[in-house]
Order: sequence, then C-alpha cells, then structure tokens
Amino acid sequence: MLKKYITLTRAGIIESLQFRLGTLVLIAGNILYLIVVYFLWKAIYASAGTDIVNGMTFSDTLIYLVLATALFNFMEMYIVWEMGRDIQSGKIALNLLKPMEYRSYEFWACSGAFVTQFFFTFLPTFAVVAIVTHGAIHFGWNLLFFVISVVMAVSINYSIDFLVGTICLYTESIWGINIMKQVIVMLLSGATVPIAFFPEPLKTIVYYLPFQSIYNAPLTMLLDDASQPQTVLTTLGVQLFWCIAMTILSKLFWKVSLRQITVNGG
Amino acid sequence: MKRKGIGFYLRIYGKILAQDIKSKMSYRADFIISTIGMIFTNIAGFVSFWILFRNFPSINGWSYYEMLFLYGFSLVSLTPVQCFFDNNWSLRMYVYSGDFVKYCFRPINLFFYYQSEVFDIKGLGQLAFGIGTIAYSWYHLELGFSLLMLLKLMLFLLTASLIMIALQNAAAATCFWIQNSFYVLDLVTRFKDYAKYPITIFSPVFRFIFTFVMPIAFIAYYPSIVILRPDEVPLLSWFSPLIGVLFFWGSYRFWMYGAMKYSGTGS
Repeated sequence: MLKKYITLTRAGIIESLQFRLGTLVLIAGNILYLIVVYFLWKAIYASAGTDIVNGMTFSDTLIYLVLATALFNFMEMYIVWEMGRDIQSGKIALNLLKPMEYRSYEFWACSGAFVTQFFFTFLPTFAVVAIVTHGAIHFGWNLLFFVISVVMAVSINYSIDFLVGTICLYTESIWGINIMKQVIVMLLSGATVPIAFFPEPLKTIVYYLPFQSIYNAPLTMLLDDASQPQTVLTTLGVQLFWCIAMTILSKLFWKVSLRQITVNGG
Repeated sequence: MKRKGIGFYLRIYGKILAQDIKSKMSYRADFIISTIGMIFTNIAGFVSFWILFRNFPSINGWSYYEMLFLYGFSLVSLTPVQCFFDNNWSLRMYVYSGDFVKYCFRPINLFFYYQSEVFDIKGLGQLAFGIGTIAYSWYHLELGFSLLMLLKLMLFLLTASLIMIALQNAAAATCFWIQNSFYVLDLVTRFKDYAKYPITIFSPVFRFIFTFVMPIAFIAYYPSIVILRPDEVPLLSWFSPLIGVLFFWGSYRFWMYGAMKYSGTGS
C-alpha cells in the first residue's frame, strides 16, 4: 500500500541529486539574499532607535525572515509549472490513466525533491541560524509545535498550488498565474515582511486568510519561547481548519474542472 | 558585402516584431493574465515598502519617497531587458536541442536576429508602473523640474538598463559551455530584486562587492542619485554611462564568442 508512494519519493530523491550544480547555485543565491536581508533590517533597526519593534527584536526578525526563506525553498515544488506543462503538452492524459489519484501522484512525485531540499537547505540554514543568534531559538516544546505546524503548512501550500494549477486547465497561461500566486502568498503569508509589522486593518484581514498559516504560524510558534497552551491550540486549530478546507476545496475544484480538459492529440 | 546600416536593422526589427505580436495575440488570455501578474509583482514591492515605512520613518537616512524613487527607477531601468532580451531565457533550450543552428545561417547579425525574435509585451506594464512611481515620488520630494533633469534622468536610466542587459546576456551565454545554465540566469535575475536598496546600508566590504564584483548598485543606486541627491553625487555615478556601455559591449563579445564556438548537435 505504502510502497508505491515510497517508490515515487525515492525516484524524486535520485532525480534531484542529479543536479548538484543547481543546488550549489541555489545556495549561493540564498546566501546573497541573506546578506541583503541582514543589512536591510540592521539599518531598519538602527534607524528605529529602539531594540524591540512590534514585539520583535532584530534577531527575532532575522530568524523569522531567514527561516521563511528556508521554508519557502523546501516547500516550493513548482507544482503549478509541472501541471501547466502537463496540460500544455498533453502529458496529463497519461498521468490521469495511472492507477493513482492525480492529486496524490503529483504530491508524491514531488516529495523526493522535498526530502533532499529539507536536508540540504533547510536543516543547514536552521543550524547556522541557531548558532549565529546563539540562544534566540529556544529548544523545548516549541520545536515539536513547529514541526507539527510545518507539516500542516506543507499540506496547505500544496492545496493552494494544486488549486492554482487547476486554473491552468482553463487559461493555458502558466507564467502569469504562477507569478500572481507567488506574489500573493509571499506577501500575505508574512514571508517578505513579518505580519507583526502590518498596519492594523490589514493585519486582521490577513489573519482571516489561509496564507498566514503557511509561514507566519510555524515561525511565530518557533520564536515564542513562553507559549501559552491557548495560543498554541488556536494557531494549530486554525491551521488544521485551513488544512482540511483547502484540501476539500482543491479536490472539488479539480473534479469539476476535469470535465473541461482538452488534450491536444498526440 | 555591403555593411548594413541602422535603418536596415530597424526595418527588420519592425517586421519581426509585427509577426511576434500577431502570434502572441492568438493567446490573448495568456497575454492579459501575464500583464496583470507583472503589475501584481510591482504592486507587491510597493506595498512592502509602504508597510515598512508605517513602522519606521526612515531607513539609514533614506525617506519613504526616496526609497520609492529608487524602486521606480529600478523598475524602469529593468524594462528594456524584459522587453527586448527575453529570448535569452530560451537560449539554452535552442542550444541543447540544436535548433540554434537556424540562427547562424542568416545574413544579418546573429545576436540581433536572435534577440529580435521575441518582444515581451508584459514589460510595458512594468514600465508604466515604474514611471508612475518615479513621478509620484518626484512630486512628493519636491525636486523641481527642468528639461536638463529630464534628459539626465533618461540618460542614466538608459545606462542603468545596459548593465542589467549585460548581466543577463553574459549569464545566458554560459549555456554554450555548461549544461544547466538556467540556474546561472536565475541567480542573475535575482540581482534585480536587490537593486532597489541604497548601497549605503551595506558594510564597506559588501559595498565594494555590490559595486565592482556584482554591479547591482549600478542598476539603480549610482545612476539615480544624480537626480535624487544632486549635492552628494559620488564620482562613480558620473562614470556609470561609460561602465554601462563597456559592460554591454563586453557581454556582446562574450555571447558572440560562445555562439561562434557552437558546433551544433549534429542532427
């Protein structure tokens, strides 16, 4: 039962290990990004005159943004591109014939890259951040909550991606759809500017949207070393709600849209 | 063979452009969605500045409108690379499949012919947004207005865009030597996201790197400061037109060198 999933994951791992140069350049790009983020926020905090802004210190903000990037790197599976290309080339017909639901096939086929990204980019980044900011990350129950939260974030992110990928069935436009999704998710999830910095009406609106469950929820949980059971439960509860809601929504939308499909012969 | 003049090339470009736009128009939905997507990206950049400056009055002595000016400047200077040189993204595919050979047999400049084949219309949305941002911040900064300033602005925008074009050409041309050049191109493209920050926020070491090793600062900071803070223009700003031309020429030679070395795939 489980074997077919693991086989797909393994194939993905082997495939992603093929492109070692790609990983190297990716790491170089990330380091560059981290340098820019570090100096930008250092300048921002220096200008602010206080150490704590909106309840976050400089190292809190830095950890938040750096780990948001690390999370992004390992959660981004380019599903929209994958689906869009399948639709345009007609390859989707073959994948629909497979004895596995298309939605879970795509997920498990991408899960290999996921595993390698986790070990090659997320874990090293996490370790470096923990060492550099010595002590700013508290090691306790919050780590467990963080892991649970990330698992749900992965699921929500995948559902959103799948939903957006399904739109490609109608539009046959990949680049535009994907860039819109990426911009909305990155901004409203707090990956570019932490949500704590958002001005008031916007902040409340953002908390009612699913996007903050992807980056903001796990990261605030990680940084909160004296977490109240109540806040933890609310955050995880909201995430669970979005997890289920988005899964149902994306499945339903896919089911309805499948009738739309036109495959160019061939 | 008679050397072909600029008029000849402009005429050819017009003809190819018309064909390209016709073929793009047959995918109208894609065109509209891509344009909206592009504007979305620009608005998001704007919104993140807006959020930041709701919390902090200034960053390292740079006010909200000055930062917006830099942002608008970078958007406009990145438009030519988006509009005219987008075919660089497909170069590695053509080289890999061997289809690149078709470009080598035309009696016109190879580099020109290759780049002219694609005109990316969605860059125009970015141009409009960028000009709007510049005008908006210009108005709020009360910089005044004269014809000379406008000429200066155009000159420095042009040189700034030459730098980005040069970087992208060089990155795309690496595909003549290495297989997976997508990552190189992608990395260089990420540079442009950092162009909107004033270089003074970095430590001296990184100031040096972003000026001389990875010339990100020439995409917006050095050229725009001529308009933004005319009293404290660093010497490098005045050199930026020269550096832009030099970089562009260098990248063109590099691209052509790779193309001339190309021997096809044998099919």
